[in-house]
Amino acid sequence: MLLQQLVNGLTIGGIYAMIAVGYTMIYGVIQLINFAHGEIYMLGAFFAITFISFLGLPFYIAFIIAMACCSVCGVLLDIVAYRPLRQSPRLAALITAIGMSIFLQNLAMIIWGSRPKPFPHGALPAYFEKTAVTFGGVNLSWFHLFIFTITIVMMTGLNLIIKKTRWGKAMRAVAQNKTMAALTGINVNRVISYTFALAGALGGAAGIMVGAFYNSIYPTMGYVAGVKAFAAAVLGGIGSVPGAMLGGVVLGVAEALGAGYLSSLYRDGISYAVMIIVIILIPAGLFGKVLKETKKSM
Amino acid sequence: MRNKRTFLFVGLVLGLALIFGMTTGAMAANIRIGVAAPFTGNLAAYGDNIKAGTSLKLKEINDAGGINGQKVELVWGDDLCQPKDAGTVGSKFAADKSIVAVIGHLCSSATLAAMPIYVRAGLPAISPTSTNPTIGDVGKGWFFRNCYTDDFQGKYLASYVVPKLLGKNKVAIFYENNDYAIGLKDSFMAGARSAGVNVTGAEAYMTGTTDFTPQLTKLLRDKPEAIFLCGYHPEGALIAGQGRKLGFTGPLFGADGIDNEDYIKIGGKAAENTYCTVPFLAASASPAGKAFAKQYKKAYGRDVDWMSANAYDCLGILAQVIGKVGADRKKIRDGLAAINSEATGYKGVTGLTFFDKKGDCSKPAFVKMVKDGKFVAAK
Repeated sequence: MLLQQLVNGLTIGGIYAMIAVGYTMIYGVIQLINFAHGEIYMLGAFFAITFISFLGLPFYIAFIIAMACCSVCGVLLDIVAYRPLRQSPRLAALITAIGMSIFLQNLAMIIWGSRPKPFPHGALPAYFEKTAVTFGGVNLSWFHLFIFTITIVMMTGLNLIIKKTRWGKAMRAVAQNKTMAALTGINVNRVISYTFALAGALGGAAGIMVGAFYNSIYPTMGYVAGVKAFAAAVLGGIGSVPGAMLGGVVLGVAEALGAGYLSSLYRDGISYAVMIIVIILIPAGLFGKVLKETKKSM
Repeated sequence: MRNKRTFLFVGLVLGLALIFGMTTGAMAANIRIGVAAPFTGNLAAYGDNIKAGTSLKLKEINDAGGINGQKVELVWGDDLCQPKDAGTVGSKFAADKSIVAVIGHLCSSATLAAMPIYVRAGLPAISPTSTNPTIGDVGKGWFFRNCYTDDFQGKYLASYVVPKLLGKNKVAIFYENNDYAIGLKDSFMAGARSAGVNVTGAEAYMTGTTDFTPQLTKLLRDKPEAIFLCGYHPEGALIAGQGRKLGFTGPLFGADGIDNEDYIKIGGKAAENTYCTVPFLAASASPAGKAFAKQYKKAYGRDVDWMSANAYDCLGILAQVIGKVGADRKKIRDGLAAINSEATGYKGVTGLTFFDKKGDCSKPAFVKMVKDGKFVAAK
């Protein structure tokens, strides 16, 4: 059973990692916890089923287009809600983020109704249900492999973008010091929009996979996933992308093992308890940096 | 500037008061009955059925001229199947003196939360669907229901459905962490003990859980022959789907919460071979019940379920009582309490209904199963 629970944990952990990375990247560039990120994840799932049901698109095409739509949503979110408040106190942006989260949840309820929707039957490739690999008494279906592959590919891709491309370098520069980055000629607003687009794409992909795998899509699904992913990002050190990835996996595995071995009723409590213990022992998170308070000279 | 703003504000308040005053005044000529159920949210499918059943009866009553010349009006209260919102709805109904009775609530936990408010305000409530056995004690004479209780349903599942109908002996239970499911699970386990059914494990889950794989992995290790979906249909459908994915091929069974079209919609192929107990089954109903099923299908385009049938009868019972005693809260309660024997019982589409001292009634249970994507009577 341990192996099966590990598989369960890695599956859900990979999803948390993808959402957590979105939280952490946005925190890195504008020091804002984007509470509406969970709603982008939810919108990804809804876009996917809308494209499949109403436009009749095949699964993979709908997946990619829904991801693109989520990128656009992320950028719109920044332009509409956060950019006007760039110079305002952090509290104003935080409250706006919470407000956008509530707004998007209710918008989804109005557009799609508040009842849980299943992923359209027959939309997923037929071989997804079949077992691909069996080892140690554990069945891994092609769907499991699909989720693992997408998660690993996207995480690696993100790492490559951040480390090797100019845009990535610009993002790191803006995350380090916005004013200096602007002085070196970087268009800060555009870089921030780019970050939102990346985060949105990842969050949307996570939403589609969860919606398809667990077969339940509803407007408030972003809230719980968002909170858990936020906990994962904090566990790994907010602002650190590898930290968020590790944090997501740790949280997912802790949740699955806790539910399997301890008590399924307290599975959420267990994963949050793990986060609290890690933060108490390592206050900045696993990969976080302890920033010293510097006095701003005026 | 301040004067202008104050003037506008006062004017707005007065205007709103006028509008609200006018609307309540205009409706006071009707007989108002509150209907409490989840109309939005996860379990909105249940609320839709309550709305459907009561609306059919409402149309019948009003088309026939109403009760003693007065038309009946239904006031919808959305309690989201949560105790907190049930309290809000309950307070609203209790404070509105023009509401003389309540049909509700739907979920046992919601009813348990609202009953103390109704008892304090002296407002009678008749529930079409709350099955938790303890509600009668909390209701103190103001609560009635026309469905059976989980005492009976749990034991029926354990002593008849599992060993005799399914022929299975080892059962794993998935129950939701609320009053309804915990009460049902307890009564099932008590019945299982005396019927010799072996419960290999019981896992609880919070409402809204979508990932059941860790718990399923744990339960399936003991190789149960059947899984008891002790909860509502959204989670039941997900457990079915994920259980099948993990390789479970045995039958699934549940109680009244599973009987809903959404269970098949969400569960898809995994919902096959699911059994559930229900208080009303069109195929086994009286001629009145069968006629009602046809009427329902014509009006709404979908097969009738037991919640709609019970809600239809609830309004029917209230209409009969109000016709006799008038639209007064205390008199309606006394009138309902007077329906206490077979002779005085109400003959409705769900059979004969009469209440005991706690407001409970005894009704037979039927078994449905999902076959080829539809609910049919289980043989």
